Amino acid sequence: MADWDELAEALADYTVSCNENERLRKMQRDWTRVLHFVCSDTGVRFTMEVDRGEILATPEGHVGTPDIVVTTHSETFCDMFWGDLNPVQKYLRGEITVKGSQEDVMRLDAISAVIWPDV
Amino acid sequence: MSTLRRSVTTAAATATSAGLAFAAIDYLGVVSVLAYAPGATAALAILIGGLMVVLVAGIFAELNGLYPTAAGIRLYLGRAVGNRTAMTVTFTYMTTVVLVIAADAFLIGAAIRHVLHEPAALAYLWIAVLLGLAVAANLRGIRMAGWVQTFVTYTVLTGTAAVSVVAIFHHGRAFHQPFDIFGKGAFSGVQAVAFALFLYAAFEWVTTTAEEARTPRVITRALFIAPLLIWLVSTLFALALSHLVPFDVLHHSAYPQLLMGKAALGTIGELWMLALTVLTALNTFNGGFMVASRFIYAAARENTLPRQFAKLNLNAVPWLAVSVLAGVSAVVAALVFATGQWLLLVAVGAAIESAIYAVGAVCLLVLRRRDTRERPFRLIAARPLATFGAILFTIMFLATGLSDPKDPSHLSVVPLGVIAVLGAVSVGYVLLYVPRLQAAAAARAATGRPKRRPPRNADPAAERPASGATGQAPPPPTPGAATGS
Repeated sequence: MADWDELAEALADYTVSCNENERLRKMQRDWTRVLHFVCSDTGVRFTMEVDRGEILATPEGHVGTPDIVVTTHSETFCDMFWGDLNPVQKYLRGEITVKGSQEDVMRLDAISAVIWPDV
Repeated sequence: MSTLRRSVTTAAATATSAGLAFAAIDYLGVVSVLAYAPGATAALAILIGGLMVVLVAGIFAELNGLYPTAAGIRLYLGRAVGNRTAMTVTFTYMTTVVLVIAADAFLIGAAIRHVLHEPAALAYLWIAVLLGLAVAANLRGIRMAGWVQTFVTYTVLTGTAAVSVVAIFHHGRAFHQPFDIFGKGAFSGVQAVAFALFLYAAFEWVTTTAEEARTPRVITRALFIAPLLIWLVSTLFALALSHLVPFDVLHHSAYPQLLMGKAALGTIGELWMLALTVLTALNTFNGGFMVASRFIYAAARENTLPRQFAKLNLNAVPWLAVSVLAGVSAVVAALVFATGQWLLLVAVGAAIESAIYAVGAVCLLVLRRRDTRERPFRLIAARPLATFGAILFTIMFLATGLSDPKDPSHLSVVPLGVIAVLGAVSVGYVLLYVPRLQAAAAARAATGRPKRRPPRNADPAAERPASGATGQAPPPPTPGAATGS
């Protein structure tokens, strides 16, 4: 099980990966969302605030009203934010559950798909 | 859990469900029912079909409650009958989306050409224009707002019902033998009900919006309310058609709704029904392209379709998936127009949907044993009802699969043959090609970059991996540091 420190480290790297990827920023230029994440094993919760494709902050706890809520194991989150895991496979097996529009689910996966196309 | 900023309500989910089901091809579906249950008996067939759909709604409501995800159908199948079978069935199921898109493109093109009194060949042009507009909108990331889709659906349903009511009270032929559903033979009665089932087909796709619903009960309610709306509108339309338009005229027409509109209200009625037909395209093309292209994208991401289908354009749209979908639909639509086999599309679509309902019933039987988790909806007497459903919908599958679209008094293996070919292609693809794709993915993973995630308990002073798209390998852990997750 991954603790908040590990998640925060993964999120920090993910944030830089995302914000420095020009193609991704262009693709998500019209995407402003609040994402809530829930670790189903540890109960840790955190938020991702996205403004026009730029990740602004990833605070611990749930902040604001979410557009998407993603729930899975803390280890899965860590692997996902480090780019070591293809989230779609877990999603299709029901190991990652999402509440939100299909469009937003795709946009979230698009981040991984663009930054780490080899995964 | 936090409440979403935007979530789907019961009214919107019901509109989605009814809108997915009530495409332009449904007008032809009613003609198919009339072929086997003439006159007012079509209303009885549609009612019986609707009662069967209540069972389908119950089955999918429970399955959706267990797995409230857009990947639901794939998930239920995978857990119940294994991943390969799930993939095969899902790929075949997706062909109905292509059939409906192709059918709508053809039907709307043919209807526009007819009203504008253009040469028949111009229908090809209209097909290309309609699909081209749909593709262009999709590729630019233009999406229909939820409220627009809701408005369109209720407008189409209300508009069709309104003209049908006018037609029913119009001076015309009397209703004969309204309860003689077996008047053309026992099997004809069964076939009439099987085609009536098609009128409701795709209503269960609302389960793909489970993740957007305010609560799981929203989807459950939609699954039961939408068939009621479809039943009402289809019944009124069937009665109106049989009242005003002779069957031998209907049977050779690709736009029975225009004929009914004209018979009821003259040119205004014809134009009104044309407008409604074009409106159905908004839902079909918007919803159909979205569902199918996202399915293709997800399949490519999980290495069951070539990776190229997961490529996104700068509007975050899987552009190759959308383009191929449109291309295939255009070819199918053009073929249908060239051969005049639009009723064959109805038969194939009806048979596939019946098969899916039978499979859904089997999934519920299996998952009731394997998964004992709480769920927001439980079908009463699930074991006998699901068993009954599996048998019943298998009979419906055969009834439509063996129908002769050209001559209702005969049987034909053509629809079944088309499904067998589609099924064989799916099976062949899953058994022969998917393993190659997955092997290639495994080889890429084995020879690709090492994991970026630092091992736990590594020396905090050690250099962290470079971030960004380069995915450079992290430095090896300091000697003596613990490794592993």
